[in-house]
Amino acid sequence: MTQDPIIKVENVSVSFWQNNVGVYSLKDLITHRKSPFKSKTILNDISVEVNRGESMGIVGRNGSGKSTLLRTIAGIIKPVKGKVTVNGTFAPILAIGAGLEQELTGYENIHMLLALYGSERKNTNAIENIREFSELGDDVLRMPVKQYSSGMVARLAFSISLANVSDILIIDEVLAVGDQGFQAKCMDKIHQIKAQGTTILFVSHFPEGVLKICDTAILMEAGQITHRGPAAEICENYKLLF
Amino acid sequence: MVGFFWGFIKPLLYLLIFIVVFKANSGVHNYILYVTSGLIMWFFFSNVTGQSVGSIVGSTGILKSLNIPAYFFPLSETISELFNLLLTLIVFMVIMHWWGIVYSLQLLLIFPCVILFAIFALGLNLLLSSVNVFFRDVGIIWGTIQPAIFFLTPIAYSESSIQSQYHLIIKCNPIYYFIKLGRTILYDPAPPSWQMWSHCLIISAFMYIVGQFVFNRLKNQFISAI
Repeated sequence: MTQDPIIKVENVSVSFWQNNVGVYSLKDLITHRKSPFKSKTILNDISVEVNRGESMGIVGRNGSGKSTLLRTIAGIIKPVKGKVTVNGTFAPILAIGAGLEQELTGYENIHMLLALYGSERKNTNAIENIREFSELGDDVLRMPVKQYSSGMVARLAFSISLANVSDILIIDEVLAVGDQGFQAKCMDKIHQIKAQGTTILFVSHFPEGVLKICDTAILMEAGQITHRGPAAEICENYKLLF
Repeated sequence: MVGFFWGFIKPLLYLLIFIVVFKANSGVHNYILYVTSGLIMWFFFSNVTGQSVGSIVGSTGILKSLNIPAYFFPLSETISELFNLLLTLIVFMVIMHWWGIVYSLQLLLIFPCVILFAIFALGLNLLLSSVNVFFRDVGIIWGTIQPAIFFLTPIAYSESSIQSQYHLIIKCNPIYYFIKLGRTILYDPAPPSWQMWSHCLIISAFMYIVGQFVFNRLKNQFISAI
């Protein structure tokens, strides 16, 4: 492996406005009379480097900042402090419950994400590949995504993120809800992609998956990286948390 | 295409109502042309703001999965509604022939007028759609005050039919200046004065700057709030 960082995260902090008094309308704001927002730190002074072709697993408890770190790396969230440098392209991050538009049909989602992602609209080949890989029928893809089961959403989401060859593949828990057959198929596909030299960031709660895919891993806790190193070692640390 | 037909049917429906209710007492020469020119402008404004308010909240999936500026969503609503307005204008320009519109090069001035109005609307859309991320009743409140603004703007009635002590209220309404400019171009035989142009220019620049400022202050917090 060449020592050529494709992702460089330097001292990055991210904070969100947290609304913990339940003021979600102007009407409430008038009666409440105080700013309902407090700043909450989600990522606290994080530095990490990922080399080209490396597969890095990210493990940690719920709410430890894994998804926020991924989105910050992808440029979707802007850090309040620090710097993120990326020398490559991303596929869309399709986590469970976010990524696909609920009101649109499967086909409309495919068209939209491919268009936004910058591949040619008329790329029927890509659409065909997505349909084939997801094993979703034509009638399913014509339904709005809100009617899908969570497994179907995962299939479609994962198939779309694999549709284009990009430099960095980000997988955020998408595999957890697929059935066994699909999970195995995805693992094969990920290995294939990895062999082509794509950098992979893999968030999961299943150490087995991380071990299969990742070379290195980081363990996150409360917005900070507490352990980093070879995947096997970090997975052991992760299991000790519980 | 549905948007286009709406852009066409809604003004026609209002036009029919206004002819029945207001025409006889309006004291306006060629009332149909007077109302139509105002209604086309108003419905552009009402449609574009109504659709943009929820545009950021409605794109949660894309915003969370791709690095796309949230700015594009109110912008694309504004552009698509502007496109509908141009189609509506073309259709109405043909129909308005029977209602006594005078075809001349002056009608082309409607394009810069509509662009200024769209910049104003974009500024307001940026403001409404970004605040709506944090307070979800912005759309409801906006839908409630819209009819009030509509009737405060001289569209169905003429400015001169209002008693002079109330003129200040009408002049405080920014929409008034755009409707007036558009109507002068489509309805009056005289070209609009430079004061009318500069009013619209200043108002739209101001609204855009305010909208962009608020949007920029809020945009980094969108992801956590949608």
